[in-house]
Amino acid sequence: MGRGFPFETGKSSEGELLISFTTPLTYETAAEIWQSVSTLASRKENASLVLDLSAVSKVDSAGAALLRSIQGLCERKGVRLRTQSIQPPIKHFLEFLEREKPKKDKPSPPSGSMLERFGAFLIEQAAEFRDFARFCGSVFAVMAGSIRHPAKFRWAESFYYLQLAGSNAMTILFLIMFLLGVVMTFQAAIQLRQFGANIYVADLVSLALARELAPVFTAMLLAGRSGSAFAAEIGTMKVGEELDALSVMGFNLPEFITLPKVLALMIAAPLLTMWANFAGLVGGIAVSSVSLDLTPYSFMYEVYTTIEFSDIAGGLLKTEVFAILIALVGCFRGFQTSMGADSVGRQTTAAVVSGLFLIIFADAILTVIYYFLGW
Amino acid sequence: MPADSANNSTSERAICAENVSLGYGDRTILKDVSFCVEQGQIVTVLGGSGSGKSTLMKGLIGLLKPTKGRVRLYGKDIFETGAEAWLEWARRRIGVLFQSGALIGSLTLGENIALPIREFSNVPKEILPEIVRLKLEMVRLGGYESYYPAELSGGMKKRAGLARAIALDPKTLFCDEPTEGLDPVISAEMDNLLMELNRVLGITMVVVTHDLPSIKAISDWSIMVDGEARGIIATGPPNELENSSDSRVYDFFHRIARPVNSERR
Repeated sequence: MGRGFPFETGKSSEGELLISFTTPLTYETAAEIWQSVSTLASRKENASLVLDLSAVSKVDSAGAALLRSIQGLCERKGVRLRTQSIQPPIKHFLEFLEREKPKKDKPSPPSGSMLERFGAFLIEQAAEFRDFARFCGSVFAVMAGSIRHPAKFRWAESFYYLQLAGSNAMTILFLIMFLLGVVMTFQAAIQLRQFGANIYVADLVSLALARELAPVFTAMLLAGRSGSAFAAEIGTMKVGEELDALSVMGFNLPEFITLPKVLALMIAAPLLTMWANFAGLVGGIAVSSVSLDLTPYSFMYEVYTTIEFSDIAGGLLKTEVFAILIALVGCFRGFQTSMGADSVGRQTTAAVVSGLFLIIFADAILTVIYYFLGW
Repeated sequence: MPADSANNSTSERAICAENVSLGYGDRTILKDVSFCVEQGQIVTVLGGSGSGKSTLMKGLIGLLKPTKGRVRLYGKDIFETGAEAWLEWARRRIGVLFQSGALIGSLTLGENIALPIREFSNVPKEILPEIVRLKLEMVRLGGYESYYPAELSGGMKKRAGLARAIALDPKTLFCDEPTEGLDPVISAEMDNLLMELNRVLGITMVVVTHDLPSIKAISDWSIMVDGEARGIIATGPPNELENSSDSRVYDFFHRIARPVNSERR
């Protein structure tokens, strides 16, 4: 037997396998003992075991768990087990641990078949959609009330969020849209140059920006920056019971919490979209001037002759719809937060994911509507 | 333990604060605090709101570096060595029960308790669930392994926090307001639990509290700190402090409201 091995083996007077521990049963020794004893208990010739604790001076929680685990293993293997010569302090400690009988853990939810789980998922999604529709209804109702009594509206709060969502996002939006303009112009130029139609790069870039890319990219930025921020802010307020405090003080939460955020995004989104259009065109002009032999004047003149009011207005209308959806879903996810910091994180993520989905969904619907209206 | 003997034979004592000053930035909260805690004792740190109790605890567990003086745990200056070495040394010696329980919300109770065991010991995976069960049974939460903290009451969260604090069988346990916000019955249960852990496992305890019944029930020794004095104003067993001639101590133990700008006797 190697030096410092945690136990010695022998035979008891009744011929049982006797395991005499020689070291304390602690966190440090538990792994080695478990490995050896579990191997011994698994051998067929060892039908009964005796654990001798006479030389054990200390047992900690890991040691107690080790003894329980050995007991459980022996029960499973059909090995008879008994312990002997436990010193009084250790016996006292083990009795202290045994005084509370374990209760049954909470039942795990039934897993069900794949079809059942898919059905449950659909029901859950339908319930969520119903709750979102109700939430939107409550916000629109208070919005109507605020239009009738504008003096009661919390304008200062709205301007605060307007600054956060609007002016603070201008730099990053400019950078994104400028680079997008550069990429689009290069991509278009590769194709159009083959036909000597360089000048139509301006038409393509400006139309794509005004009708589609500027509203969608602005909305995506708002969903990532502002929708998530709204969800996190409201979620944290819920965890801190601030929402409950406001409710019992008699505040209407959709009016007090949600409406200023919705209005801020409704104002910020079209302004940012115009800014995005400008940034994209600057990118396009920069590439056209350097690589396509187009002067900034000829580029802008082409844009002026191509773009109609309906292109700009259609894009701004889209962005307005996106803004309302982003603000509403961000606030809705915030209100859905349950207790705990992890829930805030989950709902913040959900706010971004739902926001992006709603942007694309609404974009598809509006594009179809525009097509039939001839816009 | 009286402050004047703090410097003598500190190695066998669980904790010794030697002329410790603590503060945040330029603001000094506690100045020249000295005391020792013997192994196996339950010492309560008392004081009104804002008196520096929690600051003192932060200093003792190494979360706040003293601006002056030193803190010794089992004779070792906790700020003498590097942070890594200190953490390695301390993790098996101290456990901390935070005011709110400080459980990780994304983990179940079982996972919360298993976290330090899995990280800082080499117990086999077959034994780990058994240790988790034992710890939860110790705090009378047997069967709650799969519950998330958000599904528990405040008292249960505190008990679960206690189970995590003692997961690695620490020699010393620090508790910040263990009975704060609990009803009298649950508070008494928490007190009993702390006393049992002290008696059976021999855990030395430093309990920061201003819960009078709890102080009287569990304390071997009490240390009272005061915000205006910026230090310790009284030490001793709670039954002695209760009849102190110092009005600040007497008022605390007898819940006597002090008029604004009143003169002290």
